[in-house]
Amino acid sequence: MSSPDMHLLWAEKYRPKSLDDIVNQEDIVVRLKKFVEEKNVPHMLFTGPPGTGKTTAALAFAHDLYGESYQQYILEMNASDERGIDDIRTKVKEFARARVVGSVPFKLIILDEADNMTSDAQQALRRMMENFTATSRFILIANYGSKIIEPIQSRAALFRFVPLSKELVVQRLKWIASKEEVEYDERALEVIYEICEGDLRRAINLLQSSSAIGKVTVDAVYKVMGLAHPKEIREMVENALEGKFDVARERLRKLMIEYGLSGVDIIKQVHREIFSPEIQLSEEQRVLIADYTGEILYRMVEGADDEIQMSSFLAWLVLLGRRTSQE
Amino acid sequence: MPESSYIPWIIKYRPKSLSDYVDQEEAKTILLNWLKAWDRGSPTKKAVLLYGPPGVGKTSLVEAISKEMNCEVIETNASDFRRREDIEKRIKPAATKMSLSGKKRLILIDEVDGLSGTADKGGIETMLELTSITKHPIIMTANNPFHPDLKPLRDASLLIELKKLNQRDVVKLLKGICEKEKIFCEDEALKIIHTKNEGDLRASINDLQNLGLSFGKVTASLVNELIYYRDREVNPFDTLRNIFTSKYAWQSKLAVSHSQVDIDTLIEWLSENIPVQLTEPEDMYLAFQALSRADIYRGRMKRTQNYDLLTYISEMVGPAISLSRKKTKFKWIKYEFPKKIRMMSETKKARESLNKAAAKIAKVTHCSRETVKSEYIPMLRALYKVNKTLATQIMEGLKLEDDEIRVIVGKSKESTENTEPSSTGPMNAEESLRKFETSTKKMGTRARKKRSQ
Repeated sequence: MSSPDMHLLWAEKYRPKSLDDIVNQEDIVVRLKKFVEEKNVPHMLFTGPPGTGKTTAALAFAHDLYGESYQQYILEMNASDERGIDDIRTKVKEFARARVVGSVPFKLIILDEADNMTSDAQQALRRMMENFTATSRFILIANYGSKIIEPIQSRAALFRFVPLSKELVVQRLKWIASKEEVEYDERALEVIYEICEGDLRRAINLLQSSSAIGKVTVDAVYKVMGLAHPKEIREMVENALEGKFDVARERLRKLMIEYGLSGVDIIKQVHREIFSPEIQLSEEQRVLIADYTGEILYRMVEGADDEIQMSSFLAWLVLLGRRTSQE
Repeated sequence: MPESSYIPWIIKYRPKSLSDYVDQEEAKTILLNWLKAWDRGSPTKKAVLLYGPPGVGKTSLVEAISKEMNCEVIETNASDFRRREDIEKRIKPAATKMSLSGKKRLILIDEVDGLSGTADKGGIETMLELTSITKHPIIMTANNPFHPDLKPLRDASLLIELKKLNQRDVVKLLKGICEKEKIFCEDEALKIIHTKNEGDLRASINDLQNLGLSFGKVTASLVNELIYYRDREVNPFDTLRNIFTSKYAWQSKLAVSHSQVDIDTLIEWLSENIPVQLTEPEDMYLAFQALSRADIYRGRMKRTQNYDLLTYISEMVGPAISLSRKKTKFKWIKYEFPKKIRMMSETKKARESLNKAAAKIAKVTHCSRETVKSEYIPMLRALYKVNKTLATQIMEGLKLEDDEIRVIVGKSKESTENTEPSSTGPMNAEESLRKFETSTKKMGTRARKKRSQ
């Protein structure tokens, strides 16, 4: 077999194939099934946090609509990976050009992370949605519906995905564990939920990596968590607070260049770290840093350079460290 | 002589003898002594590298000396082709054979810093060979002898520096020309000409001729009005120093506008060197705030294609950073080449492998490459630490190649060796210059691409 073996990753192996297999988001599933029955679909916009089943629902919907060979009827794209709206337009044009044969009169274009597109690109996308309506339907997927421009929102049927409840996550983890014949402590699965909250993909990934040690215990979960998340992030913050800017920035660069993490990933993890009891900070400092990480995150999302912004963040931490040590 | 006005004064007033040649006493002495040493057999270094900024009299000095010593001069400059074949055909015979007339002979290779790149293929190597086998003194000139490509030639030569000319000598010389040309001049005007040309005598004489022939007089008001500061591009080391020492906004803005490197590269240089120069945390913080603002404007400019924002970027990069230095005393320090640019080039292969791996995994997991990097790759890395067999099995199942697996599990030799904090000591100046030159080229093309998009 020359295609990659996706069954080695549990999140893929146990991704529901059909709408019938989806355990949550009942309201959404019911509506989608109705579209399958009618073989008619409007453009759709799926919004919700990561790991709540947006992509899964889109793929399962395609599966149910077109049958096993659904792959040939869909075009799957990720807006963060396409270089620009022109790339997207070219791909969509090519894909939508040929008319479809079969019982369903249109093809499906799934555009993931559409909220990462600039509003100009979204305007262009909106025109595409109008131009290709005869042959294609769009499913736009986004974490934040608010970042999708209104004209698109008003042209699409909106589906809001909510985070999975603790019961559902734990139940799903148990089911996978039994299929994989993995032993586990009940408490460990709860810890996984606490770490991942309603993000099922992360939860399954964490279950799989914890199980590689043996029985899934609370310790095993924390151990792989620690291994997965580079310790450099905490050390970077600590170095900066101690006034060692150079060392802190060396770590920053290692994280960005060697681990390939984006500034957004790093600042989000800094934000998580500063509320952990293991890092020595006063309560005031935690709040101050939390506030400032938000500002830095915003700047980077707005299009500023990751390294420059993170460097200015570190310089701020150095100053904060200095001021608190003088008090 | 009515036609005299058509001869450029810089030719007309070239020094005819060594006594006409002003200033540069030290260089003159060293050069003369070295040439005299040839009378007693060839000295250890058979070539001289005469260097200094434009217009300080490098070529004139060689000409004056050759007249003084009654030598014939075999000369090439940058306008000649200087590939290996050209040098071997034209210069080598002249250098290795004695002259028929028995006259002393001098080989002048002007502007050797132009002797690089593909057009003069093999030129430097051939010149190097020549410096060891020559029977006649070789004098080379250069503006920037510290170009990395010139290192071998530099090692083989005696280095002599010509400095920028001082005001007194330049004014005296310009005054002499005015007298000969019967042109009225004010001393003050000549002083301003010197200042505006930063000690470049050739440029000063050119300015004098322009004004003198057009107006018949050279006054301070004319000079102030009509002579501009010549636009000189300033290397990043000096640009940084100018920014950090500026006391006024206009000074700092000027420093930014004269930067040889583009604004993107300058931002990297500042980011690297703010903590080196501004050691007081308050000042460092303020400077990084300014840099951060510049970067935000840059992001907006790129997104909106509104190039009006460029001026705000320059103002944040220049004056705002200059004014950040409140507590730190200015220290003369050696600035460092931006490590980020260096790390990016050193880890290029590793990053490519990581991106290839991320693209493969993204396809299978229906995620973006970003998500793969922040979620799946850390997971695989952790897995590998606790269960190598399983992790390898999964990665091979995902059809990842060896290089991709190595970079995921953090065993990429390239990336681990070079990013250890211990190994990132300061580079020597040459290495940094070389990297700087290649990277600015790259960044330049990148910036152009961006603009054309």
